[in-house]
Amino acid sequence: MRYSRLIFLLLLVALADRATANDDLFRDQVVPIFQTHCVRCHNRSESKGDFSLENARSFFEGGYVEPGDASASMLVELIAPGDGNKAEMPKTGPALSEQQVNSIKRWIDGGAKWPDDISLKFDPDAKPEPNYNWWSLQPIQRPDVPQSNEESAVKWIRTPIDAFVWRKLAENGLTYSAEGDKRTLIRRVSYDLTGLPPTFTDIVDFQNDDSPDAYENLVDRLLASPRYGEHWARHWLDVVKYADTCGYDKDKLRPNAWPYRDYVIRSLNDDKPYKQFVQEQIAGDVLFPGEPDGILGLGFIAAGPWDFIGHVEVPESKIDGKVARNLDRDDMVSNTFNTFCSVTIQCARCHNHKFDPFTQQHYYGLQAVFAAVDRADRVYDEDPLVVARRNQLKQEIDGFQFQLDEIVKQVAVAGGEDLKQLERQIEESKQLNKQPEFGYHSQVAARADAEKWVELSFAESTPFQRIVLRPCHDEFNGIGAGFGFPVRFRVEIDGVTVFDKTDVDFPNPRLSPVTIPVSVTGSKIRIVATKLAERSNDFHLALAEIQVFNNQDANLAGGASVTALDTIEAPIRWRKSNLIDGIWFESNGSNLASLEQQRSEWVERLVGQQTVARQADLQRQLAAARMELGKLPMGKLVYAAATEFPPEGNFKPTLGTPRDVRFLARGDVTNPGEEVEPGLLPFSHEDSADFVVPTGSNESGRRAALARWLTSDSNPMTWRSIVNRVWHYHFGRGIVNTPNDFGRMGGERSHPELLDWLASEFRDGSESARPGSLKDLHRLIVTSSVYRQSSNHSGVCFQKDSSNRLLWKMNRRRLSAEEIRDSILLASGTLDLEMGGPGYYLFALEKTEHSPHYEYHKFDHLDPGSYRRSIYRFVVRSQPDPFMTTLDCADSSQSTPARNETQTPLQSLTMLNSDFNLVMARKFAQRIGLDDELPQAKLNLAMQLLVGRRPDESEQRLMLRYVDDYGWENLARIMFNLSEFVFVD
Amino acid sequence: MTIDPQRRSFLLNSAWGFGSLALSSMLASEDAGLSASLGTDSNGLIKVLHNPPRAKRVVQLFMAGAASHIDLFDHKPALEKHHGEQSDFGEKVEAFQNGLGPWMKSPFKFQPYGKSGKMLSDAVADLGDCVDDIAFIHNMAGKTGVHSQATYLQATGFQRPGFPGMGAWVSYALGSENENLPTFVVLPDHRGFASNGPKNWGSAFLPTSCQGTAIFPQREQPIRDLFARGDLVTPESHSAGLNLLDQLNRSFAAARPGDERLESRLRTYELAARMQLSAPEALDLSHEPKHVLDMYGLDRSGAQYPDTINVPEEIEYFGRKCLMARRLLERGVRFVQIWSGNDNSFPRRNWDSHEDLKREHGPLARGMARGAAALIKDLKQRGLLDDTIILWTTEFGRMPSTQGSTGRDHNPHVFTNWLCGGGVRGGISHGPSDHWGFKPLDRDNPTQVYDVHATILYLLGLDHLKLTVRHDGIDRRLTDVHGHVIQEII
Repeated sequence: MRYSRLIFLLLLVALADRATANDDLFRDQVVPIFQTHCVRCHNRSESKGDFSLENARSFFEGGYVEPGDASASMLVELIAPGDGNKAEMPKTGPALSEQQVNSIKRWIDGGAKWPDDISLKFDPDAKPEPNYNWWSLQPIQRPDVPQSNEESAVKWIRTPIDAFVWRKLAENGLTYSAEGDKRTLIRRVSYDLTGLPPTFTDIVDFQNDDSPDAYENLVDRLLASPRYGEHWARHWLDVVKYADTCGYDKDKLRPNAWPYRDYVIRSLNDDKPYKQFVQEQIAGDVLFPGEPDGILGLGFIAAGPWDFIGHVEVPESKIDGKVARNLDRDDMVSNTFNTFCSVTIQCARCHNHKFDPFTQQHYYGLQAVFAAVDRADRVYDEDPLVVARRNQLKQEIDGFQFQLDEIVKQVAVAGGEDLKQLERQIEESKQLNKQPEFGYHSQVAARADAEKWVELSFAESTPFQRIVLRPCHDEFNGIGAGFGFPVRFRVEIDGVTVFDKTDVDFPNPRLSPVTIPVSVTGSKIRIVATKLAERSNDFHLALAEIQVFNNQDANLAGGASVTALDTIEAPIRWRKSNLIDGIWFESNGSNLASLEQQRSEWVERLVGQQTVARQADLQRQLAAARMELGKLPMGKLVYAAATEFPPEGNFKPTLGTPRDVRFLARGDVTNPGEEVEPGLLPFSHEDSADFVVPTGSNESGRRAALARWLTSDSNPMTWRSIVNRVWHYHFGRGIVNTPNDFGRMGGERSHPELLDWLASEFRDGSESARPGSLKDLHRLIVTSSVYRQSSNHSGVCFQKDSSNRLLWKMNRRRLSAEEIRDSILLASGTLDLEMGGPGYYLFALEKTEHSPHYEYHKFDHLDPGSYRRSIYRFVVRSQPDPFMTTLDCADSSQSTPARNETQTPLQSLTMLNSDFNLVMARKFAQRIGLDDELPQAKLNLAMQLLVGRRPDESEQRLMLRYVDDYGWENLARIMFNLSEFVFVD
Repeated sequence: MTIDPQRRSFLLNSAWGFGSLALSSMLASEDAGLSASLGTDSNGLIKVLHNPPRAKRVVQLFMAGAASHIDLFDHKPALEKHHGEQSDFGEKVEAFQNGLGPWMKSPFKFQPYGKSGKMLSDAVADLGDCVDDIAFIHNMAGKTGVHSQATYLQATGFQRPGFPGMGAWVSYALGSENENLPTFVVLPDHRGFASNGPKNWGSAFLPTSCQGTAIFPQREQPIRDLFARGDLVTPESHSAGLNLLDQLNRSFAAARPGDERLESRLRTYELAARMQLSAPEALDLSHEPKHVLDMYGLDRSGAQYPDTINVPEEIEYFGRKCLMARRLLERGVRFVQIWSGNDNSFPRRNWDSHEDLKREHGPLARGMARGAAALIKDLKQRGLLDDTIILWTTEFGRMPSTQGSTGRDHNPHVFTNWLCGGGVRGGISHGPSDHWGFKPLDRDNPTQVYDVHATILYLLGLDHLKLTVRHDGIDRRLTDVHGHVIQEII
């Protein structure tokens, strides 16, 4: 199926005018040129330079054309400046050919007649002639490393990187800067690799280490530090939009997002080959079955925002539900292609990409890759043996179930209409006194061992004699009697356990009441389920009635109020108050029993005793397998791409069946076109978009194909993209300064050959670098002479290259929000280096039952739980931390490939007055020594901790005078604001 | 044209992001090699607007939860006539919660006001004095009936997260008139944020300095971190500390010539100190004369309010925000956003009246109308209305049919906006809805948020097509790829 349309719509309105030669020239030759090369940017709705080619009026209004005189026309100047100068127009794409220019000139010289009946329109849905002639689509060519015998080169060049940079500097008449001093180098490389400063001892040791590889040893030590993964994971999470809440309306918590964050940290610390790192994040479950990282990596697909209302409250059948799901897949596609390939594929959702050769067809082909996955909590096991056993048991259970189903079918066939009749009677008899108030039903849980409770509380202390639990009856999933009755549970009165069935499974009582004698006086009776009943791939607690009798045999429950850990309030069937409404279901005694007896005798006659015995045997085996499955270690949860999860409202798992993905003209869900097969992106005319994903391949096969394609050696995007990102974080700017966009709208390359050399070195490896090793790539970069330059200004070079694009010096940078916070914690002696686990809050969390409120102004910064590195904080998407945001922290609603670095008065206020800084100022003052210690010594320590050096005489004088007047705590507050502290040379 | 993020940061390193349009012009001109020849004023702000401006500043009044057009501003006699009859839309209708009961007339009475004879409901009667200054747009069409997406759409022009609020764009383009105050101030509902919270006024890919600064008058610290809490810092230790810091940072900068960031960092501390003086003064209502306080309904100092939603409390809280807005605007704040209603918690304190329209719309509308009318009159008597635009907006409208027996479901198909001041033509109603208030009368030509945004930018002297920032391969605009200036209302 191919989508095709006319490239541009030429509207030929009205009747034939008297055709002149000039008209013909215009119609036949000029119009096609305008259509193909100009109208895209110069049309009615988008008239760049105030110039629109819509019609004669707009065309001449622009003043770009002098009819009758091509040489005096600005238009000609723009498309053919002459003297070998580069044409300014067309802005993108190739310059016009000489022949094309001549046609336009002849038309203008001939009077530039533009008949009224011709108007040009840009149709953004049109399929452009794909133009693959763009650097990022070309195969990576490993260039030769430049060689030079010049003295300045020989003296300076340490690594191939230096050789490439040196050549560019030389070509542009620039000179490199001297190497930074040792204190500068160790502070710079420590922050860059670990996000933390060196200790003063580290600095002194490094300064005193005269060995030739002192710096290289330092780099190795830093790369081996677990702090490295914590720092670089932050960069990665910026790009992939990681947060611990969903965003949108309600902004609910994602309590299981953090295992993905920890996965990224661990993968980086382990220097996992990049290829594997990418594959795990797209299709780890398929390509690395049984490996926990194969599932943890899928947190990538789920990292971005998710619209709770659009998925849970609105069904997929409604327009708003369709929009939500379309945008959800859009986020998965964009996240994948922005992150791994630096391709802005999201531009092709409503129309073909305006600048890069990707069509809407390609785009929806990629949506189809993700058509079966949703974002949800997903079980993963850390022990591969458990995974294997779990899978085996599931297979066995399916097998038993299948055989049992066969027997049921056999019985149904043999029994015919008569048996059906009997079964209807049984059913009716069951329904006979079943009233619609079923009982209490907890929320469902993904695991059986999620503890749940329900409680009756009485206004005053009451003597209880016995408690009676009445089980529910619900045909859901064919369960019937005993629906939701806890498998293990205990009963507490005022917090004291009076009945304990938590060690062994409690046989399901079916419809029999469970009586618990107590003889205790109290006011609160709580039923705590420690192992929940299975419902349908999920677990819950349900009870029809709780009766509480005193010694007069009076039921007191009606006077109690009912609370529960959670509840599904779905009147009239399910609600908490049903627990004490005096209504429960009891089978209609003898009638039902005799009917069921009749049925079993009948069945035995029909299919024989042997089959009945086999059925019983299968049921026993099934129960045993289920029990063993239930006993396996539960597995943990990670918020990730998933096809199986407990449904919530309208949010239901696909169970692996891909949703229909249709071509949406203008991105409009109300106007679905043909179904789109999964596909990939082509890099050339020879590539076809659907060359890897076989038609009809199942959901996991689609993702696996994408993962393999992304990481294939011939994919030119992936390798360039990642080396550019790494370069960006080391130098503050990438070789391409738009790390998420290598397309025609992206930035230009400052060092094109270096980019390709790095990409091939990283992809293929060499003597000094393992293939796909990020640590080796860092080592290569930070040991280069380019990286070791001083950041000092040079007037001469500044004149020629004011933005330091060619790296004639190192870029000074301000610390990131996380680096500032972590450094303050470190300096204050409070930093807790514990790794991993759920994120800590920097806010008071309120009103979680509906829309959680994240109240940052109510947080107490004396809480030592918040003294861990900033990567471990709980990131709220719609209400980001104001302290961090003010310091230019990434916004998790969007991919942030490069952070802004601003200086604002609000930053100054934050650094002076935030509660965090004030608390830390006190801790810092305590740390630098007791009051009776020498002020000079205390000040030395303070400066060493914050900026890695001792104060000079005048600084000492100024600061100690301030201490005399206002004390050390006030000084500490001011010192956090030192430019020397927040900038790295 | 390529915007170099480093270069952009460098240009924005000055204070409240002055620079801004300055910035865009400069970046644009860098390509043309013209940067040296641009004239700047003392703030570095380039006064090159796209067209002559009519207005300098904006107030946006945002009704969270979706305020009903047909119960406030868009009178529908047909509903009075057919009240209680089975609704029939003549087509299949998808309502958010399937609220497609019988037609329901407004629980509020309508009557004409002003020279224009505009019909308003009793709930917004206070705005009656102002209708001749207001242009109503009754054919606003949304794209979604989901609160979160619809709020994003009206606040940022895109129905999903990741885009700057309108105020952030305006700050980016025009910078500040008073560098001692934030350029863009947000007054959230005192009970909490509306859906999406601060992302409605975030800067997204624009510099952080463009984002809205939220002010919570009822908190101990109305502006976060404006002053140090606790007893560590005294005025003396603060001011001596700033002196010490200035000396130390100055010598650090002096040793590193050629890095403007280090210089501008010194200046941010000076501005911070000045803001500590300016901001409390701007928020201090105690010197407002009694007749002004009365006009805004702030005549019950220290009053206690019941737990149920009630008119006096709504008047007090909304009025306070409107008066603060006026004080901020007259001191040079560029964009003020006022919110009415919080998220969908229980009990309901926003405009999302699924159950009982009168219960919430009554008090909320009375509070809003009193404050908004006072703001219009107050700005007018001070001569500020001429160059201040007021925009009243919400997520979407509500259905003309009933939900339950007294509520209304979402209606993304049509709703009302109004604008006032700043070159807007008053006393008109533009673009009617159909006779039920179900869809625009002319279904093919509704007004969309893009048009309203384009019009406001136009009045500020900006061309919505030219105000662009490249982000991830797209030259992003507030108006996406849409938008026309609504000539009829200016």
